[in-house]
Amino acid sequence: MSTNDSVENIQEQIVALLPRLRRFARNLVRNPHDADDVVQIAVERALLRLDQWRSDARLDSWLFKILRNAWIDEVRARARRAKILLPEEAGEQIGEATMEREIERWSAEAALTRLPEDQRLAVSLVLVEGLSYKDAAEVLEVPVGTLTSRLARGREALQAMLRLPEGDLS
Amino acid sequence: MTISEEILMAYADGELDAATRASVEAAMQEDPEIRKRVAGHRALRETMRGAFSAVLDEPVPDRLIEAARGQTAAPRSVVADLSAAKDAAQRRKSAAARRWQPAAMAASLLLGLGLGFLAWHGPGGASIQPGAGGGLVAGAALAKALSNQLSDDRSQLKVAVAGLSFRDKSGDYCRTFSLTGSDPSLGLACREGADWRIKALAQAPHAAANSGDFRTAGSEDSPAIRAAVEGAIDGEPLDHAGEIAARAAGWAGASKR
Repeated sequence: MSTNDSVENIQEQIVALLPRLRRFARNLVRNPHDADDVVQIAVERALLRLDQWRSDARLDSWLFKILRNAWIDEVRARARRAKILLPEEAGEQIGEATMEREIERWSAEAALTRLPEDQRLAVSLVLVEGLSYKDAAEVLEVPVGTLTSRLARGREALQAMLRLPEGDLS
Repeated sequence: MTISEEILMAYADGELDAATRASVEAAMQEDPEIRKRVAGHRALRETMRGAFSAVLDEPVPDRLIEAARGQTAAPRSVVADLSAAKDAAQRRKSAAARRWQPAAMAASLLLGLGLGFLAWHGPGGASIQPGAGGGLVAGAALAKALSNQLSDDRSQLKVAVAGLSFRDKSGDYCRTFSLTGSDPSLGLACREGADWRIKALAQAPHAAANSGDFRTAGSEDSPAIRAAVEGAIDGEPLDHAGEIAARAAGWAGASKR
């Protein structure tokens, strides 16, 4: 009975984390509906593997990791997927680079979207989701050193794109 | 002293141990350039913190809440089985180029679901029916749609909408389809003689069933169907002209039975 209660407790914690899982998924998948599909797959997988979750670990990190892996499983099929049953829904995506170049100041989201995947994930986990380097490295299954170098390169690219005013606080 | 950009970044992120932090702060005291770089990292941190946050204020779709509470409808677990079946099938693919292996597995897994489908739709449902020699074939209404509708025909109120058309590895034509109605379904059918044989069938995701929006239901995706297509397709899907040509030829594939 107590096991059952704690499972329900974790389920409610997962429910509470859904907004953040959806946000992270939007960093992975541009189409919001597809992003929610990945969230759903991840949540279903998480429930099947609750026994693998160590209660001393952060639930959000653990879910981010499952979500990322669920996304990787989907990626290979993605290019073809667009042709299978979603023929007309590609319109919402970011425009061509040539058009974008005319825009002087990028929004944070557009800039993030332009980053290479490795860097985007590092930035998303640390700067958007607020994970520590250690937790973010664990989600991405890379050493902390790899995480920090991706994060540094991602930040450099974002600085360039966003043209943030420097030295305001100095 | 020289301090790497990664150290300054880690300082701004609060990731340094006390000793390194102290040395960065000492350097900041001395060097305005370092202060400027740290400020840049902090500004970026602030900017990115708000990125994509609009989604936090959106209502979470019921299907996700239900999934988190373990209340997901049963057919999705069938879908999960199919993905696993597809992976297993792909691992063997190089060893044995048997036609339709992934889809055959899918079809066998889906047979139960298909029979369930018949139960949902009852005897009046002309969409799917048992075929000669076992398995399922398209009923009159679905067969008519598969034979006649082009994929870019998205007009309303169709019994079935064909999605993607392609040739399978033995040269037969296959098409994905969506069935609307009280139990929206997605499937893959391939031409065999005069029949459209159902190679894979999946219930459309729950959200689509609830929305009442035809287009959502019609364009909904399914991992199971995608897996079946990927296992079967040879080359690229047909374009509009290719579909017209195939339709004109009665969808007669390379292999005649």
